[in-house]
Amino acid sequence: MTRKWSNWSGSLRFAPHQLLAPKGEEELAHLVRRAAEEGQSVRVVGSGHSSSPLVETHGTLVSLEHLRRIEVHDVESCEVTIGGGVTLDQAGRALLAQGLAFSNLGDIDSQTVAGAIGTGTHGTGLQLPTIAAHLVGARLVAGTGEILEVGIEDDPEGIQALRVSLGVLGIITALRLRLVPAFQLRKRQWCTGVEECVLHFDELARAHRHVDFYWYPRSDEVKLRTMDSADETPSDIPIARLLDEQIGWSSQVIPNVRELRFEEMEYAVPLERGLACFAEVRDRIKARWRHLVGWRVLYRTVAPDDTYLSMSSGRPTATISLHQNNTLPFWPFFRDVEPLFCAHDGRPHWGKQHTLRAPELRPLYPMWDRFLDVRQRIDPAGVFLTPYLCNLLGIA
Amino acid sequence: MKAIGHTTWVVPDGRIPRQSTGPEPEFTSRDELFVLNTGDAEAHLALTIFYADRDPIGPYELTVAARRVRRVRCNDLIDPEAMPLGVDYGVLAESNVPVVVHLTRVDTSQPALAMLGVTAVPVAG
Repeated sequence: MTRKWSNWSGSLRFAPHQLLAPKGEEELAHLVRRAAEEGQSVRVVGSGHSSSPLVETHGTLVSLEHLRRIEVHDVESCEVTIGGGVTLDQAGRALLAQGLAFSNLGDIDSQTVAGAIGTGTHGTGLQLPTIAAHLVGARLVAGTGEILEVGIEDDPEGIQALRVSLGVLGIITALRLRLVPAFQLRKRQWCTGVEECVLHFDELARAHRHVDFYWYPRSDEVKLRTMDSADETPSDIPIARLLDEQIGWSSQVIPNVRELRFEEMEYAVPLERGLACFAEVRDRIKARWRHLVGWRVLYRTVAPDDTYLSMSSGRPTATISLHQNNTLPFWPFFRDVEPLFCAHDGRPHWGKQHTLRAPELRPLYPMWDRFLDVRQRIDPAGVFLTPYLCNLLGIA
Repeated sequence: MKAIGHTTWVVPDGRIPRQSTGPEPEFTSRDELFVLNTGDAEAHLALTIFYADRDPIGPYELTVAARRVRRVRCNDLIDPEAMPLGVDYGVLAESNVPVVVHLTRVDTSQPALAMLGVTAVPVAG
């Protein structure tokens, strides 16, 4: 029976032909084979936190909510295998009990690990790559219904493609992750002026494990966040006033709880152009948008990686996010600012709002064509494609 | 200490000036609500914002500790929705305990600073 589906923010609503939650890998493989025979598309959905229409389909929408196994292979090597339906929050709690942790997390942890990895979700830190960098192996159901196993030891290029793959390289049923020993962080929040923050940001980013800042367009103030190992002696930031401090395990301290629904556009620009881009965004919002936009702008950093479609592929990266209440118009604001990001070779976050398509995206990713080659091998009939994805990736 | 004031207040003449001059945040044009809670119990307020051309938005929830005053910049309210600047609005403030509500406008549209203070209208009952 057709059931309407909606994402977290409510901006994406559609009615898939069917919404299925297979109990296991074989059932999923059968479902994919059948869809391929019938010419139906299959999209896999996680927690529904993305606002770009990656999962939108009039075919079959698949939830992996029953695939929630978490298996620790070897604490010494920090390797675990988790099911495709496990959320970051669930994984964080279970892994902490085993003395393990992700090296970094994003702003929230309600997404599935597979979804966060598949869309290139990231946190902040000059030395810390996206969450996808933890992926060293996977089992997946290909477009033919075949079950494949990929590992970085035998097929490093396969993993480079799979890490951020938007759900078009098959449905990942199990993820093999290489994590780090659990660690505690001291999270501190500071208030300062935007000019002082920008002037000292590079120095702060080098000095702390994690640094980001929120800029408030209606007061021109900044909330700066730093996180460092709880074992380190904390130091003051002379340009900022300390607001609060929290110490705890990384999985408890890094993510925040977000109840208020919002829409978001986020772009990744080369790190060396990040603050210049932010200055232009700030000027634009102050000149044109702050009568309508009260939400803050978030500035973070991400380490470079070699993942084909990662926002930070091949370059140290700064990310800048715009936010707006989900009950207010957001497209006029986002569309007006987006060209500023693009002028700095910005790459959009795959799971957030943007307007780019293949002609603009392909020049931004040196390994774009290689990714498409892998996609063609894994899903020759295009079972995991939709009209949106064909436009996004430039597939006829 | 005795709780002074009323539990329902209205401000009919809100309008956050759109332009600002001078260093921010000190000179940002703004409307500010001041809530005085003289009583011994925490005050929980629900603000509803009324507009000229659309349905009211709210509640904006606000807590004021016992025997404290709290200042809130209307410009900064985003939950449930950011208030627009340069638009006429009215406020209905409903509290669980008697409080006193006051609105101040800082208008720096021109370099010659202007300030306006208005006590909200108490509603009997």
